Amino acid sequence: MSKPASEEVPLPEIQIFPERLLHAETTETLLNKLHKVKNVRKITVQGEELPEIMRSGPGTGGPVDHPNRKLINVAGEEMELRVQVGRIFVEICDLDFVPQALKDVEEVCKEVLPFNFTLEVGRYSKFKPTVSDYKKGLVK
Amino acid sequence: MAKTKYKAQFYPGVTVPAKNRRRFIDPSQKLEKLRDVPMDDVVKILGHRTPGSDYATIHPPLEEGVEPDCPVRALVEPIEGAKKGDRIRYVQFTDSVYWCPIIPYVRAQMYMWRFRGIDTGTLSGRQIIEMRERDVEKVAKELIDNETFDTARTGIRGATVHGHGVRLDQDGLMFDAWQRYRWNAKKGEVEYVKDQVGVPLDKPVPVGKPMPEKWLKEHTTMFRADGVDMRDDEEVMRQNLRIHTLRTKCGFKPFDVKEE
Repeated sequence: MSKPASEEVPLPEIQIFPERLLHAETTETLLNKLHKVKNVRKITVQGEELPEIMRSGPGTGGPVDHPNRKLINVAGEEMELRVQVGRIFVEICDLDFVPQALKDVEEVCKEVLPFNFTLEVGRYSKFKPTVSDYKKGLVK
Repeated sequence: MAKTKYKAQFYPGVTVPAKNRRRFIDPSQKLEKLRDVPMDDVVKILGHRTPGSDYATIHPPLEEGVEPDCPVRALVEPIEGAKKGDRIRYVQFTDSVYWCPIIPYVRAQMYMWRFRGIDTGTLSGRQIIEMRERDVEKVAKELIDNETFDTARTGIRGATVHGHGVRLDQDGLMFDAWQRYRWNAKKGEVEYVKDQVGVPLDKPVPVGKPMPEKWLKEHTTMFRADGVDMRDDEEVMRQNLRIHTLRTKCGFKPFDVKEE
């Protein structure tokens, strides 16, 4: 989980909204290609939570072993994917770079995603810590 | 008792979803059988007992005659499981909003017309049936085998049912956080690897190929803005409006309700 940090001005994000939820392998490929797009500052993924263990029913405490909850390698760094990705927010470091980045992101998506997707520009993830972040002790 | 002349109409409307609803609900209509999942496999998916084992009981068989005298008992023919004293067990189906063949509300109406001895509960994306164990197994098999079940967009889930309103995954399967079933690309079919409460099965239970998109759209009971809009079916709208008006008025000023 990334550490919440304040930005003075909310930077623009490109939202990738695929028609289907992505497998871990597709997410890994997509993130690695997006990482190489110029002027990308941060990439956030959002999706359906994949629990590690069952939290209800007679099997409570047993492992789920979901094939899409696994370690993926993005830009040489291993990280655990804990969601089945449904949305990706690509933060661009300046508003002026958005038109070109949008074209590049579209190219990458066309190459990687075997189904339709939509792209939107806006601000989708939080850009400053929330009250909950303070309560959780994530911000000092 | 005098025979009533009332003839059930089941569901109004002329559009495809309305016709399908009528067909599913009407018990005189035989539903198409699409697959034949062996009974032992159904029992494994339900996860209540090991296939071949005895049914656990909660009371002695009715034929032993220890029940008190009761006119209702004399009037109602017990179902098989009740006769033998089976315990109550359940099966729960989750229906994706992406063109699954049946939806929970219609399931409830269909069950009440087609099955005896059930207790059913409707939620937004799932429908539970509680019944005597041997009867719930038979009903579950019937519902898995017939056209109300699509292997990719209908799920058998006893707990953590979330997924009916979520986009399908890359393989076209409804999202399941516990991954009870998976896509077998080699065979081109869906197989259950866990029972309905997420306990792993000894070996996968194949349930068959998902139905094509065209078939699903022809068999849907779902009114959707990107399919058949409910507002396009004048009779359905009129009936819904009538029910809404009566429910509102009857709770407020029942004496104001005047219908011809």
